[in-house]
Amino acid sequence: MKNIITLFSFILIITSCDVVEGPYLIDDGGVTPVDTSSNTYVKKVLIEDFTGHTCSNCPAAARELEAIHDLYENQIIGMALHVSTSFARPNPIGNPYDYDFRTDWGDSWSNFFGISSLPSGMVNRIGYPNEHKLGKDSWLDAVIIELEKEIDFGISITSDVNGNEGTITVNTELINDVVGDYNLVVCLTESHIIDWQKDGQTDNEFYEHNHALRTVLSDESLSSSTTYIIGDNISLPININLNTLEQYNIDYSTNTAEAGNGNAGGWNAENMSVIAYIYDNTSQEIVQVEEAHLMNK
Amino acid sequence: MIKKISLTLTTACLTIICFAQDNSGEFHGDFDLNMQSYQEDELIGAKAADEIILNNAYLNINYTKGDFSAGLRYESYLNALLDFDDEYKGNGIMFRYATYTIDGLEVTAGNYYEQIGSGLIFRSYENKGLGQDNAMDGVRLKYRPLKGVYLKGFIGKSRTYFTYSDGIIRGADAEINVNEALNLESKTRIIVGQGFVSRFQADINPKLLLPQNVAAYSSRLNIINGGWNYSGEYAIKLNDPVGSATAEENNYANGNALMSSLTYSQRGFGIVAEMHRVDHMEFRSERAKEKQYIINYIPTLTKQHTYTLLALHPCATQPEGEFGTQIDVFYKIKKGSLLGGKYGTKISFNFSRINALNGGNSFLNDNSEHTPMFISIKGEELYFRDLNLEIYKKINKKIRVTGVIARQSYNKDVLEKPGNYGIVESTIAIADISYKIKKGHTVRIELQELLTDGGDGSWSMGLVEYTVSPHWFFAVQDMYNWGNHDLEKQLHYVNINCGFLSGSNRFAIGYGKKRAGIFCVGGVCKEVPSSNGFSLTISSSF
Repeated sequence: MKNIITLFSFILIITSCDVVEGPYLIDDGGVTPVDTSSNTYVKKVLIEDFTGHTCSNCPAAARELEAIHDLYENQIIGMALHVSTSFARPNPIGNPYDYDFRTDWGDSWSNFFGISSLPSGMVNRIGYPNEHKLGKDSWLDAVIIELEKEIDFGISITSDVNGNEGTITVNTELINDVVGDYNLVVCLTESHIIDWQKDGQTDNEFYEHNHALRTVLSDESLSSSTTYIIGDNISLPININLNTLEQYNIDYSTNTAEAGNGNAGGWNAENMSVIAYIYDNTSQEIVQVEEAHLMNK
Repeated sequence: MIKKISLTLTTACLTIICFAQDNSGEFHGDFDLNMQSYQEDELIGAKAADEIILNNAYLNINYTKGDFSAGLRYESYLNALLDFDDEYKGNGIMFRYATYTIDGLEVTAGNYYEQIGSGLIFRSYENKGLGQDNAMDGVRLKYRPLKGVYLKGFIGKSRTYFTYSDGIIRGADAEINVNEALNLESKTRIIVGQGFVSRFQADINPKLLLPQNVAAYSSRLNIINGGWNYSGEYAIKLNDPVGSATAEENNYANGNALMSSLTYSQRGFGIVAEMHRVDHMEFRSERAKEKQYIINYIPTLTKQHTYTLLALHPCATQPEGEFGTQIDVFYKIKKGSLLGGKYGTKISFNFSRINALNGGNSFLNDNSEHTPMFISIKGEELYFRDLNLEIYKKINKKIRVTGVIARQSYNKDVLEKPGNYGIVESTIAIADISYKIKKGHTVRIELQELLTDGGDGSWSMGLVEYTVSPHWFFAVQDMYNWGNHDLEKQLHYVNINCGFLSGSNRFAIGYGKKRAGIFCVGGVCKEVPSSNGFSLTISSSF
């Protein structure tokens, strides 16, 4: 009898379930975006979206990234990395899908982080080495948890680029005392690229590709020391020549990328952004990230 | 935390096993090793592995003494075979359990596999061939309070690769064998069952209201009378939106599934008529819409073919929406009749057809609502159709022949990958001839042909298998994609295998090329990449 009572009690406990009645959308999105326009540093999150132009499910991930950005506005920074020899492989020039979005760094990171299926993403690279690859439906929860973290580093970016040349300066300010081994990465992305994308069963010739990784300008230790003192300022100036950087991608597509065709140029500096982030060399966690337009608009 | 619990339970299991050696319990175990080398082959798109050789291995050890048992499974992926998800990486004891039964109550702690009914609302199982293992980690109770009444309840987390998902799964099931419970001496036997599963996952979504406890129910009925057998199950899953920020992707509609099967069988004759309707019924251990989290199973409604070209275009169940029917007839023509000959002739006829639901699956959110018609066949998108006839004939003491002819329609866009492939219509013929040369020596030849203008075009296949029982077998197989529209892909896929069996040990080595494709077991499918290389398989048990 005692066992019966125990078992039935168990059954009663689990018979609870939630039925949600509409409207399902919370009025104001439930979020008041943090004002990022002031000089005060706020926690920001990088979503790396591994994608490919013939990956039919990938646009849904791009839309999820935009939806999260709409929710938290400038606290969310996106980066689309076109990877894989199947979904990102270009067709011969003159055919649909003949553009090669792949980059040396995208392919390298894809290998390092073991990206084997698309779409796949990382939110501040949290969970490495076993739980860092997240399906798009898991991004929002990970973002919410990340945004609650305090920041130790503040990053600011100034860009003085005219035409094809100029200097980008990334300044890192210590907000707390920190001990650790950190790297600073500076890269360029480009948005509003109109090109082919498979979207479900549709071949969309005029798909807008956003946040596509173009190049990595630096991936070096933030400092020669592992001890950082509150108030420290670390400045990294980088001189760039866009023609040279663009040619590097063309050469990579021509000579290195599998089945590449060299069609990796046509950059538009007006639509490019500088993304700078600091990551922990041990855990790979991105602890802070910042984004700025390449050209002053 | 999980690692700590795992370590503690593993230690407990090992302690029990060591302690038990002083007593008179029994140990049983089995071991499997699958090793494969990967060479680059540009023609078939096969990639070389950086490691050159990849390996999956498993060792199960179980100890039983009376009503007590405990066991564990050691898994090793160094690194996992290419057709496995690379999330399987490294070594570990990923399955350990202890269970005992006393006074009709069975208690299990640790890992367990469980299923409610036919699996519509819950199935935890493993299939190493598919890289599938969603073992539960938690506790389970089974109890028989009265004769003919079977109760079970469980709580735990579901395995996803080398971790456990966020959701907490709770389930209960009651099954009553009416005849046993009421001591009825009727020729008609009735069994009824009711199952319940609930998943808890916290709601932190700032944009949408999400249910934290998502429930699914199912009711089932089985009536058996002589050669007749009716089996039916109906399931409902309550609102289960995915919780993504893209509001329009969140579907709050309830899901449902109905399975119904009527069988009649007598000596030499059997007929099965089945239907099922599935609508938004994928149930996951987390909200995330990814296959590795699936914890239910919709049994497939098509014949599970074993011949390679018959299974080239397999039907994977679409848990988000499909309507299907199947009829399966078996008849044995009697010995001595004109068609039956000296040994009789077995004929098996099968027809199945799967189509989309009217307007797609049920959908509900703030901006959109849709409920498909309950039954709609005409005009709906065809997913799969299979019409096949199989004849088995023993010609004499030495020769046995199986012949199959089939016509299949395969919606590649839905069942394989989105695109503009359309329906692949194919006609398939199989001849399987087995000839016993002398005692212990048998040669078997398979000739297969698949004709189609769609997909990858037409195929031929030939296989010769020579068995020297009970120890040796040798096989050579060639699949030739002679009808591929791309002339460069009109390739041969040759495989050579040989094996040796000795007692409880089995060794097999092989070399060959595998084509990229879809591999399915029971309607659960996975994509397999092309490969070229050697393989070694060792299995053993004690």
